[in-house]
Amino acid sequence: MIKLLKVAKREYLERVKKKSFLIGTILGPVTMAALVVAPGLLFELTPETQEKIAVIDHTGYLFDNFERALGDTLESGAPMFVLREVTSGGSDIEEIKSTLGIEVDSDALDGYIEIPENIVDEGKATFFGKRAGNVKAYDRIESALSRAVIGKRLSGEGMDYESIRHMIQGVDLEALRLEKGEEKKGEFMLVYLTSFIFIMMLYMTLLLWGVAVMRSIIEDKNNRVIEVLLSSLKSKELMMGKIFGVGGAGLTQYAIWAGFSAVLYLYAMGMGGMAQYIHFSPTTLIYFVVFYILGFLFYSTLFSIVGSICNTDQEAQQLQMPIVLPLVFCLVTAMAVFQNPDGTFATVMSMIPFFAPIVMFLRINILMPPVWQIALSIAFLIAGIYVMGILSAKIFRVGVLMYGKRPDLREVIKWLKQA
Amino acid sequence: MLEIRGVTKRYDEVTAVDDLSLTIGSGGIYGLLGPNGAGKTTAIRMIMGIINPDEGQIEVFGEPFSESSKERIGYLPEERGLYRKMKILDHIVFLGEIKGVPAKTASERAVAWMKRLELSDWEQKTVESLSKGMQQKIQFISTIIHEPELIILDEPFSGLDPINTQALKDIVMEMKEEGRTIVLSTHLMDQVEKLCENICLINKGRIVLEGDLSGIKMRFSRNTLTIRYRGDKAELEKHPGVESVNDFGQELSVALKEGVDTNDVLRYAVERGRVDRFEIGEMSLHDIFIQQVKMGGGEIDDKAAQSR
Repeated sequence: MIKLLKVAKREYLERVKKKSFLIGTILGPVTMAALVVAPGLLFELTPETQEKIAVIDHTGYLFDNFERALGDTLESGAPMFVLREVTSGGSDIEEIKSTLGIEVDSDALDGYIEIPENIVDEGKATFFGKRAGNVKAYDRIESALSRAVIGKRLSGEGMDYESIRHMIQGVDLEALRLEKGEEKKGEFMLVYLTSFIFIMMLYMTLLLWGVAVMRSIIEDKNNRVIEVLLSSLKSKELMMGKIFGVGGAGLTQYAIWAGFSAVLYLYAMGMGGMAQYIHFSPTTLIYFVVFYILGFLFYSTLFSIVGSICNTDQEAQQLQMPIVLPLVFCLVTAMAVFQNPDGTFATVMSMIPFFAPIVMFLRINILMPPVWQIALSIAFLIAGIYVMGILSAKIFRVGVLMYGKRPDLREVIKWLKQA
Repeated sequence: MLEIRGVTKRYDEVTAVDDLSLTIGSGGIYGLLGPNGAGKTTAIRMIMGIINPDEGQIEVFGEPFSESSKERIGYLPEERGLYRKMKILDHIVFLGEIKGVPAKTASERAVAWMKRLELSDWEQKTVESLSKGMQQKIQFISTIIHEPELIILDEPFSGLDPINTQALKDIVMEMKEEGRTIVLSTHLMDQVEKLCENICLINKGRIVLEGDLSGIKMRFSRNTLTIRYRGDKAELEKHPGVESVNDFGQELSVALKEGVDTNDVLRYAVERGRVDRFEIGEMSLHDIFIQQVKMGGGEIDDKAAQSR
């Protein structure tokens, strides 16, 4: 046991002292967040700027109602849209449009709308803007214009403006998430994004540190240091020492991440408004670490089997495919699990040790499954670690002293019998 | 000190070690000889508990092999291996720690040994920055850092210059003086002749020759001739009493079969050419090794039985 710890300590220090560890620890969540959150955040945040829009109103009566309908405000309370009516006033319409075009080009204006005279009958208007991609602002403008036009149509039927406005008042659908019967504010999109960041990080770290165990075994074989080590301790101690040492480096990374998240979380809470963009709780973090540890132990035994029977990284690259596939499968099916977290597919997946670390964690994050399911999933995973641990220890014992030709499956089975 | 009884190890069709029995007493230097692929390394790995024998028992220090025995044995494998990126002092301490030596003690001993082997300037350098010979010395220090009672050295001098070879030899001799037991596995027969009291020659997984070195040499020397001869060498080989002729250029070393009259051979040689020198003499371990290995097959078993 003491020798095992010495091996673990050596492996741990070797990894943690590397520059790449520091870089990976910092860049990991940053890139992950950049990849997953950035587009979402941009989408959420873009409308928070004021839009300056010119309106060429050929009808001569729609502008006021349109402006009133477009009453959205920013969080600061300032109006989201600043409208400016441009009257054709006898001058050439093309000339006015080209003047406005220059203003848009120089960013003095975000765009302009041309409302044709027959809009009430035809129901068509045109928006000229540089950033046609600002979907949210575009949506609001469209619905405000629609309401103005509908109001005009109805007032033709002899109704007064205020009652029309009341009648055509739209409905805002606010999405709320229920957790243990309690309302949780936070949009589904954000749950999805944070869940996805977490499972991407699980995927990356399981792969990264699993491969690190495999590499470390191959390195010892190539160094020929393995024979010296085995003359001092049991092959089982050596293998477990490696797994614990490398896994410990991974855990250190997790601890750093958890620390940063906690700081970020508290900071965001203090900021008030920002809190809605972060969706995780201490429970999430605890399960995150638990499933990393269990997942790593399971996958590292699989990776050490590959390491034991290969002599070069190239050989290992081919042979690790069957191990990487289940991990990739988890990501591919994440959407299906997300949409139906307590369906048969997700439930069964979360019970199989190959998928459990990612799928069960994802389920917990979306919709807390019954405790017995979590317990069963963890129990199966631990059983899987035990069985795979014994298998890989046997293969390790024979394999690490074999050089030359890579053994085929038949030979590996023979090793299992002799070890 | 070490007792091996009826140990067998098979790999697929190959029997690497075949019913090997061997007793190595306490103290002294024991030579383990054999051609490449004879099963020496497999035998040593079984002694170290790195692999398990298919059959037979191994006893070390008078008790069946256990994990704790490893802490009393030092093993220098033929395939040297160190972590390339590790600092030298850290590395030796690490290898000491997994042999059960506290870090502080290991460090003190490592510093002393490195001073003796002129490596002090390199303590904080990484392994990869060292020359091969230096790495070998580091590996040697690691082998004895836990002051083992039994030391197994597999080709300890290969790749070393004469000065370093002598330095390590001195240490081996000191270890012997201290009462430790050393098993030396090597191909270099002149070293075995100089260092070892007892030897064991293995071929194809079986013992071919075993016993104390002087006794073995005595037994073989009665059957060896050194002849300076001008004439057809092939003619000499035709004599029914001649086992083999080894041509050294100027002189021939002739091995005779058991019970052959040397006078008869002399008469035969004189009739067929000119004999300038004829000496009934000592056969070198080198010749014994080659003769025994070349013979191979069943005859060896008889002789092995005799020698036991």
